[in-house]
Amino acid sequence: MLYQLSGSLTTKVKTCYDSAVKNVKFIDIIIIALALLIIILSLYLIGPLKGNPLVTVSSGGSQWAYDLSVDSTATFSGPVGKTTIEIKDSSVRVVSSDCVNKVCVSAGKISKVGQWIICLPNEVFILIEGSIETGGDVDDTSF
Amino acid sequence: MDKNYIKLISGLLMLPAVFLHHNVIILFIQAIYCVFLAVKSGRKFKLIPNLLLLFSIPLIHLTQPNGLIIITVFSFPITLGALIVGLRKALILITLLYLSFYMVSDRPQFPGKFGSLVSLQLFYVGQITLTWSTIKQKRPLIKAMDQLLLNLEEKKGTNQAAKKEKATLKDYFVVAIQLILFYGLFLLGTTLKSGLLTT
Amino acid sequence: MTPLSENRINFVALLGAIALFLSTIEYMIPKPLPFMRIGLANLPLLIALALLDNKEYILLSFLKFFGQALISGTLFSYVGLFSLVGTFSSALVMKIIYSLFKKRVSFIGVSVGGALSSNIAQLELARHLLFGSTVRFIAPPFLIVGLITSMVLGIFANSFTLSSLWYKNHLAERSDG
Repeated sequence: MLYQLSGSLTTKVKTCYDSAVKNVKFIDIIIIALALLIIILSLYLIGPLKGNPLVTVSSGGSQWAYDLSVDSTATFSGPVGKTTIEIKDSSVRVVSSDCVNKVCVSAGKISKVGQWIICLPNEVFILIEGSIETGGDVDDTSF
Repeated sequence: MDKNYIKLISGLLMLPAVFLHHNVIILFIQAIYCVFLAVKSGRKFKLIPNLLLLFSIPLIHLTQPNGLIIITVFSFPITLGALIVGLRKALILITLLYLSFYMVSDRPQFPGKFGSLVSLQLFYVGQITLTWSTIKQKRPLIKAMDQLLLNLEEKKGTNQAAKKEKATLKDYFVVAIQLILFYGLFLLGTTLKSGLLTT
Repeated sequence: MTPLSENRINFVALLGAIALFLSTIEYMIPKPLPFMRIGLANLPLLIALALLDNKEYILLSFLKFFGQALISGTLFSYVGLFSLVGTFSSALVMKIIYSLFKKRVSFIGVSVGGALSSNIAQLELARHLLFGSTVRFIAPPFLIVGLITSMVLGIFANSFTLSSLWYKNHLAERSDG
């Protein structure tokens, strides 16, 4: 019985082989090559495994974290009111704040690792963290 | 309205109440309710695939920090906001799935020519299973399939009229209650802005 | 648009039924990962490329998606949406490849092309709806499995159409009508 099974199996494999090899046409090869190309591309696109720089915010004893590369807004409450930040195009800025002098708002955008903005009256501290490999450079200049 | 359309319509009406709010607790309640509806309509509920969904989607979203930091694991922040976004997506998925099971459970006859085409299709599936069992030599496979198809050619299908019941007042009442419940939950979801549980 | 004759309607419905039958069989095969699918239900879509005109082919694509979604109950869910997107992008690409290259391509190339476009479309959908950019980790195994299964399917379609009497009958019918 095993002999019969192997017999029919070999004929099956042979017909598969026949239709596979005899009938493979030119465009088939091109399409398969294209598919392989795309697969290799997808492997490459997995890309850098290390995370993106983070925007960390400390306020009122708690800590928040946001991905610098993702656009978002967030609002934090402190002693004098609310402070709102906006992350856009891989940079952070303070959009509005209830403090009197609004120094934080006029600080403008920060985008590099190590840069920070602070709203002292409202006790909000914004910092860009990350390792240097992730593309953030430590910058010496401050406003 | 025919009885088989009731579930379909009520499900469709319930959809916005699921999508349009961001409250995870309310979503969880809605999900449980939809699972209940599906199970009542005869569908089985399997715990493991759903748990898998509830774990994997939030987990994937945690890789993109967003919001209050709960724990830091190997210097990676686990954020509440990301968790909630993930949970919301997973819960919507599950709710939608079971709502969908519920909606089609009465085999609604879809209208028009297309509906009768689908009925024909379903008729032929039955024919395929029947005819396949009459085929004696199932190997070699291709030859058997060919035989099956040739045999099938002989039979032409006709539409079977599904037994049509009219919907009763009680049915409408049940649906109305259901909708009120669901939208009530939805309103709760939009108004209860506890900072922890919304995005 | 001329309406389809009763014969053609029955034919499309039959092909749709085969697709549904095959998807039921596939459903019963245990899979390690939920989204790694074999795509058995695409077989009629492959074989019917030479047997149906464009309008009938679109109908068949819809039947394939709809019947499966209806039976599995996923018609109104995200799962159904993925199935819809996958089915139609695959059908479109397969029709294009087949019409463009006729003799220079076999079912293998068509099948791989269809699987590729279906997978890419579904990955894109997943990126927007569910996973965001983390979808890129799932992409390679998903695409590789798709490539392998679609090649096998294409080889089978080649074998079948070569030796099937039923296929030859309908092919002849097509060139008359």
